[in-house]
Amino acid sequence: MSKIIMNRRQLLTTAAAAAGGVSTFFGPWKHNRVLAAASDKPIKIGFTSDASGQYANSGASDRRGMMMAIAEFNEKGGVLGRKIETTHIDTETTPATGSRVAERMISREEVGFMVGAVSSGVANAISQVAQKYGVIYLNTNSSSPTESGKNCHRVKFVWDGNGSNFAQAAVKNAISAYGKKWMLLTNDYGWGHDTAAATKKLLAKYGGTVEDEFLVPQGTRDFSSALLKIQQASPNVVAAAVGGDDQKAMRQQVAQLGMGEKPAWINNQQDWPDVYGLPIENLFGVFGTTWYYKLDLPGVDDFVKRYQAMYPDTKMRVPGNVFYNGYMATKNLLAAIERAGTTNNIAVIKELEGHKMSAADRMQHHDAYIDPVTHQVQQTIYLATGNTGTSDKDDMFKILSNSSPDEVKDEGAPGACALESYDATPTFDA
Amino acid sequence: MTQLAPHIFNGLTLGLLFALIALGFMLIVGVMEVINLAHGSLFALGAYFALTLIGMDPIADTGFGQWWLGLPLAPRYIAALMFAPVLAGGIGMLLELCLRRTYGKAPLYGLLLTFGAGIVIEEIIRLGWGTGEQYLQVPQAINGATFFLGSIYSKYKFFAAGFSVFAILGVWAFLEKTPYGAIIKAGAHDSEMVRALGYDLSKLRLLVFGFGAALAGLAGIVMVPIWGLRPHVGIDVVIPAFLIIALGGVGSFWGAVFASILVGLTVGVTGAYASAWSMMSMYVLLILVLGFRARGLFGRASALEN
Repeated sequence: MSKIIMNRRQLLTTAAAAAGGVSTFFGPWKHNRVLAAASDKPIKIGFTSDASGQYANSGASDRRGMMMAIAEFNEKGGVLGRKIETTHIDTETTPATGSRVAERMISREEVGFMVGAVSSGVANAISQVAQKYGVIYLNTNSSSPTESGKNCHRVKFVWDGNGSNFAQAAVKNAISAYGKKWMLLTNDYGWGHDTAAATKKLLAKYGGTVEDEFLVPQGTRDFSSALLKIQQASPNVVAAAVGGDDQKAMRQQVAQLGMGEKPAWINNQQDWPDVYGLPIENLFGVFGTTWYYKLDLPGVDDFVKRYQAMYPDTKMRVPGNVFYNGYMATKNLLAAIERAGTTNNIAVIKELEGHKMSAADRMQHHDAYIDPVTHQVQQTIYLATGNTGTSDKDDMFKILSNSSPDEVKDEGAPGACALESYDATPTFDA
Repeated sequence: MTQLAPHIFNGLTLGLLFALIALGFMLIVGVMEVINLAHGSLFALGAYFALTLIGMDPIADTGFGQWWLGLPLAPRYIAALMFAPVLAGGIGMLLELCLRRTYGKAPLYGLLLTFGAGIVIEEIIRLGWGTGEQYLQVPQAINGATFFLGSIYSKYKFFAAGFSVFAILGVWAFLEKTPYGAIIKAGAHDSEMVRALGYDLSKLRLLVFGFGAALAGLAGIVMVPIWGLRPHVGIDVVIPAFLIIALGGVGSFWGAVFASILVGLTVGVTGAYASAWSMMSMYVLLILVLGFRARGLFGRASALEN
């Protein structure tokens, strides 16, 4: 029986070589990993969308958009000859759950990409984990300016318009149309404060004044105190940055009091799933959106038909902005992988950065692009109000105007955003 | 003062609504000593049953459905107010049957079971009614705005507050002025004696739980025209209900009612002058009260205190 004797140096060398070799095949979190990927191995995408909590309904819509984009690519044979597989874990509209889900998606499910968000808090939590591992993450539907500002990351791309974009589209016109005396109704968390800050800045710029700011804690269901304060202050305009279920309760109570017409209401952004099916009286005031299913543009009707064919049983008979953002984000990610010719994360990031999208492709009025400095999609912003002039229950919005990306650009974001360098971002092939 | 008065009045109405929310929870905790964490889901379920009873969606195309939908909204709404809580009460009774195995064991078993049941009910709602926002119609007579003390108020909120007073008095009368109430209270104090007198304690518990669940359902029907209706609407209910019971003193009917009004006033007035603290204020109130009086405002002294 032969005896193998190793000295300390040999032992260390062998151990290091073994560790290096083994680590190559484990997890996307290792630098310069080459995944044991045959060319036919499916590309795995993790859906990080809410299925419960405040944004459960919007999360479902977001997911439908992603699934339609993936189904369309899979019908064509996938991407780079590889089918696309998906997995979904509920992020529960809770940042802590978002972190946990992202960790699990990457380390156990071994996803190559993550897509989905409605809450900015959840998106921020997911993106911190994604950056740690170098996994590309698409924030599809959260709209706090911080997402492409101080919370930006090299791996994160933000697809929705943000509070600053919507405020820019609305404030100047609303001052001249309704008056200078404003009151702010602000959800007391990141998105609300950031949006209110953007509105205040614009009010100062265009000569408006803030009479009062009413902070609305998250989870508020009774708005009577706020509505009494509005009556007492009698402003010309109420600028509401109130989201999710809080916003639904607010709309219901404002409509009940018949206060939707006077004062004028500017609601920063209106997500389609939050109002679909509600009485049109609840849809008072002017609000922003990135897309509407009745835009008179080529491709829109066909897009709606594809949605209806894929989801014949859903109660939401037409797609809205949340679905649209989920679809567009996923479609552009897959197209970027195709253009890059590889699933290497850094190569795909470079394909996405600065990528230009034609108005026709996006079914919007203006060309769009992904800002290479902030990673936010710069796109058309629409202002809309409730459509009272139709009997079609689905046709709830009346589009009032559209602004080009440059008109509504969030000027504060580039200064606040410091993307990690490519070298500081772990790299791998998905 | 003219600026403050509307907020005090608003706080009072808000307090009455809190009392309505807590009523069913209080009944089950007070009489059965079970913390029913499915209270919120039963609250939502009552509202969804009402939605179906008003709209008759599953049978809208049948002859009966057409006849029903041809009726004005008011009778359909009243029918929903009457029958939807009964249906929620029925579900509550089913839950009580499952809960029986936990009696006499550590309270954690009952807590976990009702917590799980709450999740199951919420998922059933999602499957049955969808995940989206729904709208529970109310008759025109109680909808819209009205002026009072120079401010605009919602007529519906007045209706809801008035209804809450009616429900509070009704439950009080049932517990205090009827033989059934006497048996229920006796069962809570000395179950052995009640059994010895020949009363079926199991049926009694079934009845109380069903009644508590029906009250939760009733609160749901009354509250969702203000809050909006979605599958997880009940999440907003359990914590305030629990807080009110702790504040008023477990087992004290009027303690819970008084605590509700105190919470309403605190939230209403804080909302006017420090809005960011309006939600937090109820918890601060709880800490202050329990810090000085651990058994709550009207709770009975424990043996350890004597």
